[in-house]
Amino acid sequence: MGATVISSANAGSNMGKELTIIVPVKAAVPNITAVRLDPVTHNLVREGVPLMLNPYDRNALEFALRLKDKYGGRVITLSMAPPSGKDFLESTIGMGADEAYLITDRVFAGADTLATSYTVAMTIKKLFPGFNLVVMGEETTDSTTAHMPAQVASWLSLPYLYYVVDGEVNMEKGTIKLTRYLEDEGVYEEFEYNMPVIVSVYKDSNPPRDISLNRKIQAKLSGLVKSVTNNELKLDPLCVGLRGSPTIVAKIEDAKPIPRKKQIFKGDPREAAKWLIENLIKEGVIKP
Amino acid sequence: MSMDNRRIPIEERLNSNAWDVSQRPHIRIIDPDKCRKCEAKPCTHLCPARCYTLSSDGTVLFSHEGCLECGTCRIVCPYNAIEWTYPRSGYGVQYRFG
Amino acid sequence: MSQRFDVIVVGAGPGGLTAAQRLASRGFKVLVVERGRKPGSKNVYGGRIYAHVLDKLYPEYVKEAPVERWVRKERLTMLTKDSGVTVEFEAKATEHKSFTAYLSNFTEWLGRKAEAAGALVVTETPVDSLITKDGKVVGIKSGSDEVYGGVVIVAEGINRLVLESSGLAPKLQPSLVGLGVKEVIKLSRGEINERFNLDEDEGLAWALAGYPTHYVPGGAFLYTNKDAVTLGIVVYLEHGSKLDVPVYDLIEEFRLHPFISRLLKGGQLLEYSAHLTPIAGLKAMPPRLYGNGYLVVGDAAGFLLHLGVLIRGVDFAMESGRLAAEAVVKAHDEGKYDEEALSVYQQLLNESFIMREFNAFKNAHKALNNPRLYSDYVMLANAFMGRYFDVDGTPRRLWDTFMRAKGNLTLVDLTKDALSLVMNL
Repeated sequence: MGATVISSANAGSNMGKELTIIVPVKAAVPNITAVRLDPVTHNLVREGVPLMLNPYDRNALEFALRLKDKYGGRVITLSMAPPSGKDFLESTIGMGADEAYLITDRVFAGADTLATSYTVAMTIKKLFPGFNLVVMGEETTDSTTAHMPAQVASWLSLPYLYYVVDGEVNMEKGTIKLTRYLEDEGVYEEFEYNMPVIVSVYKDSNPPRDISLNRKIQAKLSGLVKSVTNNELKLDPLCVGLRGSPTIVAKIEDAKPIPRKKQIFKGDPREAAKWLIENLIKEGVIKP
Repeated sequence: MSMDNRRIPIEERLNSNAWDVSQRPHIRIIDPDKCRKCEAKPCTHLCPARCYTLSSDGTVLFSHEGCLECGTCRIVCPYNAIEWTYPRSGYGVQYRFG
Repeated sequence: MSQRFDVIVVGAGPGGLTAAQRLASRGFKVLVVERGRKPGSKNVYGGRIYAHVLDKLYPEYVKEAPVERWVRKERLTMLTKDSGVTVEFEAKATEHKSFTAYLSNFTEWLGRKAEAAGALVVTETPVDSLITKDGKVVGIKSGSDEVYGGVVIVAEGINRLVLESSGLAPKLQPSLVGLGVKEVIKLSRGEINERFNLDEDEGLAWALAGYPTHYVPGGAFLYTNKDAVTLGIVVYLEHGSKLDVPVYDLIEEFRLHPFISRLLKGGQLLEYSAHLTPIAGLKAMPPRLYGNGYLVVGDAAGFLLHLGVLIRGVDFAMESGRLAAEAVVKAHDEGKYDEEALSVYQQLLNESFIMREFNAFKNAHKALNNPRLYSDYVMLANAFMGRYFDVDGTPRRLWDTFMRAKGNLTLVDLTKDALSLVMNL
């Protein structure tokens, strides 16, 4: 493992006595051909389409749970979703989260990533001021922006590290050593941060553990999923939901397949390479 | 593309479903040698998702990703060579109509 | 940490949820454990539910349940590659006898009913085995978790993995089941009404035999929903090796049959599914339907009546769930859930339509498992009609036409097979 140690200079503050990890998750739309877009708003038509926990959020939760297994503390999941989002949060309890919060209110509806990240960041700040880590999935499978962790970090003015695969906590010093994996380069990097810090987890790391029957029973019987509305959060209605969302989907078009020439060269690989280069030059794709 | 006059490839049919596939397979071939020796290889014919395919060297390859969870393979295997369970944690095919 | 419940139900399908709802509404502490993400997300069936059990269990279903269309038209076709003989029955009656529905939606609705009655429905957690202590089932295992209960109702469906792993059922044999493969195809309501000659909420139930399974024992079905058609094939697995094409191609050949594909023009595939179904009547049952601390309901108990054209699973599953709940109440009143106390379940089953119908049709599968029905007779019917209507100036007397159409079938075969069907169906 090629290690580069970088130490950040942000001040560790608000340190709780026990490790507190927040894992925001999303109820995502599965990738099915039958998903439709609203012809007017160009938003996804979610009716009749089953929502599911964004798969990469499970890897993020697993990362958080492994830290908890090692260092103790608590893992809290939260999600901004309609009331049906309770099911997904119960699944996170089933995996091992200690409690879960459903941020649900009509004023939050229609949010883009900016308004969503604001709502999530402010909820964390208000409800869990002593948090040490916010752990998120690399991206979502239905919108793949990967905006959320970076935006949450900037709302909270905290450092952000992505593609994280492993972490080592030092509660006494209030620091965490994070390892990330850069896929293209094939290298691991190590960083040391003062907590709190925001991380997103590399999607092919930390394969999620199974959902436990007893944990899910407990989630239901002990009411481990709580709902919060803007009555408690008191966020500025201009900064949340549709009104807080500057994103406008102006136009959506089906990507038309580009016609290909479908030329095939058969024979010696050296000749093939020569033939390919000649033809690419001829087509103006590359310059000689 | 219209489905009126063409056979929809099995991959495309499977793509019409909602999925949340686990990274861990819920199918295991216990003894690939038994499959190589199996003459009929009913799994390659009777799995409705075409999860079992025959490779050129005579081994049976399987993929759990498109499994419709019917359980046919387990029952038709003449050598009890397939270990088949249900995916855990709600993974697998998510039937919207059933 | 482990929880204790009065009743644990394995599987949130029509059978399990009915039992759970009945018991929870009588104050029992009920846990339902389901492997799918929600009730219904792993369920598949043909497409039609017979309503008589709902009249008794949930009279409010007419308004509440996700009914697609009321079946007013029954059609049976013996299909060859290029011809078909069809019998159709149509009723103007507004009486509600059976309806088409999506089983996923319907089961989800039953799930809400069970939860409203107070049952705890926990999803995403497959049950691996039963916990047995001193010869009595005392709970269930899911992964490393254990949950204990007074009695366990096994409603795990046709793949009896829990019963098998607990030694309470032998491994399922191909001769006991059919493989159903199904496509849900979206069409507009207007197109369906026009093409199938239906009124707004009227439905068609269509059974076909012959070409759809390439003349191998089994059949095909087509049901109309509000704005989709569900079609599929069922192959008796015992005869699966006789198929000349893989089963995933077979269903496409059926859909592309000119008589079918013209009805589906412009459709869009919404879902492709598959499921096993018990076909062998009494023989598909596990050796015991009850024992010390457990009961078996629904498909797991083999409770599906398969009479070729008539296939009934959901009503049998729900009725067995209702009876299991009643048996648990009676056993509870006696203060024990042992084999003797739970034997009342068998008694209730015997008195119900379940065993009455199963006994009446105890040889139906034997009669229906006759390969000639799906090949020779389909050909005969089509050849007969073909000859009879082929007017070319030569007289077509019925008997003569029939004798020419029957091909290699002997009159002895014909008499034997006809008798077998008449006596057993």
